[in-house]
Amino acid sequence: MIRKYSMIINNEIQRQFTYRLNIAAYAFGNIAELVALTVVWTIVYRNIDTIQGYSSNEMITYVVFAWFFSFLTTTYSFEQNVARDIHQGTLSSLLIKPQSYIRYVMAVAVGRISIAFGIVIIQGILVFLFFSDVLIFSVDLPTIFLLFFMLVATFAINLFLSIIIGFIAFWTNEVFGLYYSLKVFAKFMSGTFFPIILLPVFFVKVCFFFPFAYTIYIPVQLYLGKISFAEGLRGFAIEVLWLGILYVIIRVLWKLGLKKYEGVGI
Amino acid sequence: MPVIKVSNLSKTYEYHKKQPGLWSSVRGLFHREKLFKKAVREINFEIGEGELVGFLGPNGAGKTTTLKMLSGILFPTSGETKVLGYIPWKREPQYQKQFALVMGQKNQLWWDLPAMESFILNKEIYEVSDKDFKKNLDELAELLDIKDILDVQVRKLSLGQRMKCELVAALLHKPKVLFLDEPTIGLDVVAQKNIRDFIKRYNQKNKTTIILTSHYMEDVKELCRRVIIIEEGKIGYDGDLASLIEKYAPYKVLKITFEGEGVKKSDIEKFGEVHKFLPHSITLRVPREKAKNVARDILSSDLPVDDILIDEVEISDVVRKIFSSSNNKF
Repeated sequence: MIRKYSMIINNEIQRQFTYRLNIAAYAFGNIAELVALTVVWTIVYRNIDTIQGYSSNEMITYVVFAWFFSFLTTTYSFEQNVARDIHQGTLSSLLIKPQSYIRYVMAVAVGRISIAFGIVIIQGILVFLFFSDVLIFSVDLPTIFLLFFMLVATFAINLFLSIIIGFIAFWTNEVFGLYYSLKVFAKFMSGTFFPIILLPVFFVKVCFFFPFAYTIYIPVQLYLGKISFAEGLRGFAIEVLWLGILYVIIRVLWKLGLKKYEGVGI
Repeated sequence: MPVIKVSNLSKTYEYHKKQPGLWSSVRGLFHREKLFKKAVREINFEIGEGELVGFLGPNGAGKTTTLKMLSGILFPTSGETKVLGYIPWKREPQYQKQFALVMGQKNQLWWDLPAMESFILNKEIYEVSDKDFKKNLDELAELLDIKDILDVQVRKLSLGQRMKCELVAALLHKPKVLFLDEPTIGLDVVAQKNIRDFIKRYNQKNKTTIILTSHYMEDVKELCRRVIIIEEGKIGYDGDLASLIEKYAPYKVLKITFEGEGVKKSDIEKFGEVHKFLPHSITLRVPREKAKNVARDILSSDLPVDDILIDEVEISDVVRKIFSSSNNKF
C-alpha cells in the first residue's frame, strides 16, 4: 500500500533528474526575485529607521526568510499537472488502476519538488552567507521544530490548493489565466513580498481570513521573535485546521468532477 | 457463464454548439445550445472466457466509448454491464486487478524513464509478488523480444518498441480480461505483425478474454473468429467472421490471367460483373453458388486462359461496403 506511493515518488524523483537543467534555470529566477526585494528595501531604509516596528535588519531578515520559506514550500505550479491529467485524458489510464488518484498526485507532487528542494536549501545557505552581517540569527531549538512542522503544513496547504485549482479543469478548458491570477493573489496574501501588517487593516483581515497569512507570514514572525511560541503554536493549529477544510473541498470537488468526467469522457 | 455481459447499454454525450465567428463566441458566454450525441445505443452482447472478439466500425461509431464503459472510465446513460461479475464503473480494486486496457493512441508508461521503472511501479500498484513479477516479465520480454530495450528511456523508443512495452506493462498482473483499443495503430507492417502474433499466442496460451478494436482488417482477419460491428452506436453484426463474409458478400472473386493477345472486355462480360479489367488480367465477381460453374465455363470457352483462381472477397472490402452503406443511411 505505502510501497505503491513511495514507488511513485521514487519514479518522479528519477524523472526530475532528467530535467536537471530546467531545475537549475528555476533557481536563477528564485534569486532574481530576492535581489529585487532586498534592493527595494535597502533603498527605502536609507532615510528611515523603522517601518511599522521593523528595523532595517529585521525587514531584510523578513524578506530573506519569507523568500526562503516560500520556495521551500512551493509546489511549482502543480495545478498544471493536475489539469493536464484531466484535459489530456491521462486520468483515464490512472483511474482504471487499483490506486487512488488523489494519493497518486500527492506522491507525484512530493517527488516532483524533491530536487528543487535540495537546490533551494543550497541557495538559501549561500544567501544567508551573503547577507550574514544583516540577518538576524537567534532562534531556539523548540522554535526550529515548530517552524519545521509549520512549513510541512504550508507545503501541504499549497499542494491541496494546487489540487483544488487543478480540478477546475473538470469544468473548463480555459484555466491558465485563472491559475496565474490566483497564484499571484495567494503569494501576495501570504506575506511573501513584505509583512502583511503594512497593508490597510481591511486587507490584513482578509489575509487572516484565508489560510495564506499562516503559510508564510506567521512562520517568519515566529522566526523573528515578533510573536510568542504559543502564538506560533496557535498558527500551526490553524494551518492544520485549514488542511482539514481543504481536504474536504478536494474530496467534494473530486466527486463532482469525476461525475462530469465519467459523463463526458473529456 | 459469460465473462462479459452487456445489456441495453447506452451512452449519450452532452455537448455545446458553437457557430463560427467572433460574435457567436461572445454570445456563447451567456447562452449555449445543448446538443446530445448518442454514442452508444442499447447494445447487447456476451463474451465467453478466452474469446478474442474484434470490434469493428468507422471512427466515431462508439467502439472506444464501449471499451471505456467496460473499463469503468465512463458511466453509462442507461443499461447494465457485468465483467467478471463486477460492475465496471464502480471501479472496485478487485475488478481493476483483473483487467487491463491498452490504448494505441495513449501512452501509459513514464515517458522520461526506462520502461522498467513503469513495470516496477505497476508491480506495486497491482500488488504482484516478486516471484510472479519476475516470471511474467521474463516470459513477456522473451515473447516480445524486448530484453535489450528495458533500460532505455521510453521516449527514445520507436513506436513499435513502445507498443510492446505498453503491452508488457498491461499484462504483468496477468489480467483475465484485456481491452485493446487499436494496438497496432501507426505501426509498420512488420511491427504490426509482431504485435498481432503476440496477441494471438498470448490469447491461446493464457485463455485471456480479449476485445480488440482495429482499423486494420489484417489484424481482425488474423486474430478474431468473432466480430462485432458497431455502426452509429448500434450493433450491426455479431457473429463469425466467416459468415459475415457470406452475409455481406454473397459473391466470390474470380481472378483470371490470359495468355497471348489477351481478351476484350466484351468477351468476358457475359460471365459476370467485371471488377478490374486489363487485357491479361481480369477480376470477376460472381454469385457465390455459381462460382464453380462460371470458372468451368471460362476454362472450356475458347478464351486463352492461363490461370484461374477462385477467392473470397477481401474482408476489408466487405467492411467498407457495410460502413459506406451505413453512412449513406444517415
